[in-house]
Amino acid sequence: MILLAKLGIGVLGTAVVAGAAISSEGFIHVRVHEKHPGGHNVALIVPAAVVPVALHFVPKNQLDHAPGDLQQLLPVVDAAIPELQKCRDGVLVEVIDPGEHVLISKSGGSVVIDVNDHDETVHVSVPLSAVRSSLHQIAEANGAQD
Amino acid sequence: MKVGKRLLPLVLLVAGSLWAAAADRYIHVRVSNPTNHELVRVNVPLALAEKVIPAINHGELHDGKIQCGHFTADKVDIRAILDALRTAPEGEFVTVQEPDNDVRVAKERGQLVVHVIDKKSKENVDVTVPWEVAQALVANTKGDELDIEAAIKALASAGDVTLVTVTSQEENVRIWVDSNNSDK
Repeated sequence: MILLAKLGIGVLGTAVVAGAAISSEGFIHVRVHEKHPGGHNVALIVPAAVVPVALHFVPKNQLDHAPGDLQQLLPVVDAAIPELQKCRDGVLVEVIDPGEHVLISKSGGSVVIDVNDHDETVHVSVPLSAVRSSLHQIAEANGAQD
Repeated sequence: MKVGKRLLPLVLLVAGSLWAAAADRYIHVRVSNPTNHELVRVNVPLALAEKVIPAINHGELHDGKIQCGHFTADKVDIRAILDALRTAPEGEFVTVQEPDNDVRVAKERGQLVVHVIDKKSKENVDVTVPWEVAQALVANTKGDELDIEAAIKALASAGDVTLVTVTSQEENVRIWVDSNNSDK
């Protein structure tokens, strides 16, 4: 009985630690709503900590669609993200067009992109730490391809 | 005495928070088109710009400095001119009135002010540059360079200021610096 209890505590503890580790970097939210009749509605919530791991399993040739100068952009990303993490929440960029509204903002530790046009609404929220590690991995994969 | 010792960390914390809040300054850009109601708003923390600009090494921008192609300063000591202007009394330095446009350069309230009116396109351009920013732009440069990184650092310690205003029939542009994280 005691052994079973110890085993249960061990399993529960591992599950709690694993859950905490997975959710430690926050979550990526993606929501797409196509406005035309029969359009798709997609909603995804993915733990950000999973992304760098998942990228390891993506075939390298699938990552070579990234911009060729991504490697050159990494110092800019590395410089920008810590400062973005420090700054207050708010709107960074907003574009209002008669047919389109684009909003890029910082909320908590995430960068949030909202697009609303004639055809669809898109909402993407990505933790800044995940942006950094993912871009590094994609750039590394691109470097390995070259 | 004991109360004083206990209050000290609290006072330091409050002072630190106030300092941090004061240091959190933003540069705002707002471009609006009155005819088709397009609007672009950009709000960037100066600290972010200060870190990102030196990291960009592309085109004319390298190590926080931008190369200006049409700006020749080989035989002109811009630092000396700026220093002379800084110590000069306030007033108008240059006034050009032509059939097509009017240009006015002046020193007002310790700032360099440039006002241009394009009569043909009915465009008004106002540029206001605090002296410390103007000096930072050329302080550690040579030839046709402008030090953007140093100018941003200087802007962070300058007060709230509207740097550029462009008013025309097609669009209105405003670039300014303050402590708000939005342009409202």
